[in-house]
Order: sequence, then structure tokens, then C-alpha cells
Amino acid sequence: MNSKALIRAAAITIAWVAVATIGSELSAAFKQLLTSIGGHHWIGKSILSAVLFVLSYLSLLKVSDDKLSLRDTTLLIGTVMVAGLAILIFYVMQA
Amino acid sequence: MIDPLIFLHVMVAEFGLFAFLWVLVEVLNPTETRIRRARIAAVIGLACLLAAWIAGGFYYVEVYGAQVKPAIKAGDAPWVHSVVMEVKEHVFLFLPVLAATTAALLLKFNNDLLHNREARLTVAMLAGLVFLLGFVIAGMGAVIAGGYRSAIEAGLT
Repeated sequence: MNSKALIRAAAITIAWVAVATIGSELSAAFKQLLTSIGGHHWIGKSILSAVLFVLSYLSLLKVSDDKLSLRDTTLLIGTVMVAGLAILIFYVMQA
Repeated sequence: MIDPLIFLHVMVAEFGLFAFLWVLVEVLNPTETRIRRARIAAVIGLACLLAAWIAGGFYYVEVYGAQVKPAIKAGDAPWVHSVVMEVKEHVFLFLPVLAATTAALLLKFNNDLLHNREARLTVAMLAGLVFLLGFVIAGMGAVIAGGYRSAIEAGLT
């Protein structure tokens, strides 16, 4: 298992969830596309996030995994904070 | 009466979060025995959060949208849905990804965590993040339950 690829795939997936969340509120067509995947936009996002996590991990397998660096961990934690805040600020502004 | 799906969602989610707190505690000062226990806790925690995802998702799609959301939006605190629930349902999607990453790293590094400081810190930080983020989300769940209770008391259902 490639730990760097795994951590980066997690960061990509979480960033995508934030982009898809905001994007689906701004674009009715995108929301409809997500709905068409699982019958509800949230199910569409859930399915796509799981698929993206696996696919991005597989696509990053060539990344060198010689030594796990805390820089990757910090990147993931930073992505979680930025993505979470972006979703919060967006819905506060929409309310 | 509490919906069995929301009861299941809350119970398995809370159990999953405490499993990741358990992981954090075990890897702070690891031994081979503690790492073995942390691996078990991480697998249990991941399974619980996946179950919470399915149970909560089923409740959200089948029950919340039809019964709870209209009542909250008709009440005196519609922001409970338009902000708190919207944020909760989407930030929740971070948890299975973070839990799976933490469990996979723990299984990969195993007893190397005794000597690999970066790997140990990574597992500890991610397990702590799962726990903290999960409890923020649980707090949001309590706010949503309060908003629904208030709507019921106001006769909006």
C-alpha cells in the first residue's frame, strides 16, 4: 500500500466533496446529474466520493512512497479545514 | 417515538468515533500490544462509520426530507435546516474517507509505528481529527433534533 497516494487521494476526495456541494447548489444541471446517479443528489455525491477515492488512489500509485512526510498529513488536515469552512461559509451566505 | 434508523445512525456513529479516540490513545505511546489493539479499534471504528453512513443516508433520503425538513423550515429557526443540516450532511462525507485512510495506514505501518515517528504522528493526528470532526457533526445533530422538537411542540407537524 502506498501511504502518500492514500493521503493525497483522501485530500482530493474531500476537496471534491466541497466543490461538488457548492457546485450543485449553484448549478441545477449539476445537481440533476448527481441526482441521476443515485436518485438523490446526496447519494450521487456519496457514490462519486467513494469512486473518486479509489480512482485517485490508483492513479497516484506511482508516487514515491519511500518515507511518509508530515507535509502530506498537514496537506490533508488543511484540506479538511478549508473544505469544511468553505461549505459552512457558503450555506451561511445562502441562508 | 424515536425513528429506529436515526437511533442506529447515532449509536454506531458515536461508537465509531470513540473507537478512533481509542486508536489515538493507543498510538500516543505505542507498544506491540497497543498497536494490535489500535488496529482492532480502527477496523471497528471504520465499520461503525460506514454503517452510520448507510443508516443516516437512508433516514435522510427516506424520512428527513419528507417529515423533518418541512417542519423545521416552517418553524422559527429555518436556519437549522438551511445551514446546520446542509453543512452536516456534506461534512459527514469527509469521515468515511478519513477513517478509511487512518485504518489503512495503521494496518500498513503496524509495528513500524514503534520507530517511525512521522507515521505514528500521522495516525494519531488523523484519528484525533476523525474524533473531533465527528463530535462537531454530532453536535449539529443535536441542534437539528432540537429544531425538530421545537417544531413539533409548535404543532407544525
